[in-house]
Parts: sequence; C-alpha cells; structure tokens
Amino acid sequence: MKIDLKKFAAWFDDRLALTPIFKYMTKKEIPQHEHSLWYYTGSSILLFLVIQIVTGIMLAFYYKPTLEGANDSIARIMTEMPLGWLVRSIHSWSATFMIAFVMIHMIAIMLTKSYRKPREATWMTGMMLIVVSMIFGFTGYLLPWDDLSLSATKVGTNIPAAIPVVGKWVTQFLRGGDDVTGDTLTRFFIFHVCILPLVIFAILIVHILLVQKEGMSVPLKDEIAKKTVPALPFWPNFVLREVIIWLLLLGTLLTVSLLLAPSLGPSADLLAPAPKGVKPEWYFLFLFQTLKIFPGNIGPVTGEFVAVVIILVGILGIFFVPFLDNKPETIKGRLFTYLTYFGVIYAIVFSIWSLL
Amino acid sequence: MKINNAYFTRRKFLNSLLGGWLGAVVVSFISPIVKFVWPPYKEPDEVKLAVADYAGMKPDEVKTFAWGNKPGIIRRTKDAGFIAWVGVCTHLDCNVTWVPDKEMFYCACHLGWYDKNGVNVSGPPPRPLRRLDVSVEGEDLFVRKPEAGAKA
Repeated sequence: MKIDLKKFAAWFDDRLALTPIFKYMTKKEIPQHEHSLWYYTGSSILLFLVIQIVTGIMLAFYYKPTLEGANDSIARIMTEMPLGWLVRSIHSWSATFMIAFVMIHMIAIMLTKSYRKPREATWMTGMMLIVVSMIFGFTGYLLPWDDLSLSATKVGTNIPAAIPVVGKWVTQFLRGGDDVTGDTLTRFFIFHVCILPLVIFAILIVHILLVQKEGMSVPLKDEIAKKTVPALPFWPNFVLREVIIWLLLLGTLLTVSLLLAPSLGPSADLLAPAPKGVKPEWYFLFLFQTLKIFPGNIGPVTGEFVAVVIILVGILGIFFVPFLDNKPETIKGRLFTYLTYFGVIYAIVFSIWSLL
Repeated sequence: MKINNAYFTRRKFLNSLLGGWLGAVVVSFISPIVKFVWPPYKEPDEVKLAVADYAGMKPDEVKTFAWGNKPGIIRRTKDAGFIAWVGVCTHLDCNVTWVPDKEMFYCACHLGWYDKNGVNVSGPPPRPLRRLDVSVEGEDLFVRKPEAGAKA
C-alpha cells in the first residue's frame, strides 16, 4: 500500500489545526540592525537547555540521591559507565554556558531597553527564568555530595533564615529539617529533576509565546524615528544562521568538556569542619562576596540581614525595571543604562575579588 | 433574586457559601501536605557520651562528637572540667574547626574566628558559638541543651 504523505498531513492538520502556526513562522521577520546579534542569544540558551535535559536524564539513570550512595554513584558514572565522565562534564559545563548566555541575553536587553512597553511581561517572565535557572544550578551543586558542595549548601540554605518570620520556615523547607542531612540531598534531587523542570517549562512557554506575540523589538532610536528597519525572514534565513551559531557553541562546549572535566571530592561528612576554599558556583560569587564583606552586626540587626535585604531589593528592582525605566528616551532612561553598567561592573569586580 | 431589605442576593449568598466550602476543602488538603513537607525534626535535647573517651584529654585539648546531625565540640578546661558548644558557625552554619596553634575556632566559609571560649572575635560571625551544658554522671558524660532561660 502506498502511503500518501499529503493526505496523512492533512488528516493531522484537520485534528490539530497547526497550519496557522507554520504560516506565522514563515511570515515572521527578524529586524536587521547594529544590535541584531543579541537576537541569537535566546536560541543559544534553548540549545543548552536541551543539552541539559538530555544529559541530565542520562545521569539520572545511574545517580542515587541518598546520603550513602550519592558520591559513590557519581564516581561510578565517571569511572565505569562508557563516556560517563564526559556526560557529567557536558552537564556541568552546559549549565555554565547556559547561565552565561542567560546573563548576556539579560544584559543585552537591559542596554537596548527592549523591556519597554509593550514587552514588560516578557521581561518579567525572563527574570523568573533566570531565578529558576540559578536555583537549578544551586540544587545541582549539592548532588555530587562532596565536602565543598555540602558547605556551599549549608551557607546557601541558611541565607533565607536571616529574613524575619518567614525565613526560618524557608530554610526548614529547603533542608527538610533544621540541618542539612541526607534528606536535604534527596529533596534537592527532586527539586532539580522534577519540580524545577515543571516550573521552567511553564514559564518558558509563556515567555516564548510573548516573544512571538510582540515580535522582535527594534532599537529605541529607530522606534522613535519611526524608521522601517530592514528585516530577514525567520524561516529559513534566520534559523539557518542560528544553526551556524549552535554548531559553533556545540563545538566549544565539547572541547571545554573534554579538556576540563569536573573533579569529584571525597564524600561529604556532616560532622567534618568546612574545607578550605568553600565557594559556590561562579554565578553566585558576587553575592557570596557581598555577604562576606558585611560585618557580624550593624546596629541592632545582623549584617547578614542587611545584606539579604539589599540583595532582595536589587532583585525586585531588576524585576520591575520596565516600570521604573518608563521613559527610556529621557535622561532617566540614561540613568538606568548607567545603573546597568554599574551592576555589571559590580558583579565582575566582586566575583574576581572573591577569588583572590 | 433579592429579598426586600436584604444585604445581598440569594445567588451571592449561595456562591459565597459554595466558595467557602471549596476553600475549606482545599485547606484541609493543604495542611497535611505542609505537615509532611516540613518534618518535625528537632536537634537532640541531650547526647550521652562515655566519660572514658574524654577523661584522658589534656587541658585545652578539643574533641568533637555528634550533636544530632551537627558536630559538637568539647574542650577540657584548666580545672579538668568540660565546656561544649555546637560546632556550627553562627554566621551561615558552616562547621567550624579548632586551630591548635592559635587556640581558636575557625570557620573556613567566610573566615570567621572565635576564641577558645567560643566568643566571636573576628570576621562575620554575629554571635558566640552556641554553648551546651556538660555534666559527668558516673560513667556517662551528658551534653545537654542549656535550660530555657539560662543564657549561654
């Protein structure tokens, strides 16, 4: 029997009505201007997310999220499973690349002020995605269950406790008790492989739909001048260019993963002193350093509390920046551009400082 | 429909009643979930150790023991008594370590220092190490949480 593919496709389209989506994709256009390069960062993040999902599922086939088994199971993945060391290395490096591109994506949007009306909600869902990505990184960091990851998790989960009333409760929720124990490890594993994936997909769908709904933003000066910006068809021209970038990134990721595979420390001991050189993942370093410079007590409250409040205000400020920076073409808009530069320089300087 | 002089319509009344019931049902499901997710784990009230393991300590010698899931620290005093602390930094919960050359406790996470009496002397720790009571009862060495109200 000969299968008529056209009939087959028509049958599906009858039921699912997908034609409008394909039509939209072929009609969609990507503006071309001096800042067009930043348009590619979004799909790069998606590339790394897909790699995280695939390698993460592979690792979960052998990983054991228990006090006794975690560290051993990773040692086993790295030594016994064919190419297991590489899978772990790619998962670890792809996380780094993903966060790095998330940050580039975010900074580019802040500097081009693409969050301005009508894209405020796109920005806010993007901020949520950053926070979720960072929680992914934080929960994943504990899973190898070595002495460094244990201490970093003790510090990280204790930070909410500085917030009055609800803080203690949050810390207990994260730890599954008053202390970091084997229960914390199991809990972090479930956050990492079950809860956070659900959350990130839910937000990501909204984020991507909003991007489609509003289309790509054009530079502020072209928008004000009502200039028609030349555009490139999304399909196939833009997508093929994205593929070139994906291949370059994939090559870079594989090279780095091959040459710089992460190590695995001895299994964590709950009663052992904190090891030297405890530090979180690189994208938390500037927060880590911020916490470190505050003295024990400032007046009647602890320095930690002041630091946590400052960090929270900063995060909320960035979250609501489309409403604060509501006149982007005025001097107020320029002030927010300077604030962005300041934030970036602050993060870089404090990150480097924490490593000295 | 609204009865004369009534504050609300019958529909509004019935909808509120229904909403209240649904809310109660949801809450009745949430409370067991919350109870399950926040386990009632507490740190121990007391830990029993064997005096024999600690009797041979020299003055100012320091040993550790398990205070539940955390390290406990015990130091021999000059008059052959014992002092104990929870060996966890009061800044952000890292386990501290005894540095014998300096006779101080040190937290490697954010470079916090405590003197040999557990008092925070440098770095970010906001409070002294948490004191525990020690008492020798026959062959046993009991480490207890200080009585409520008695400040360490």
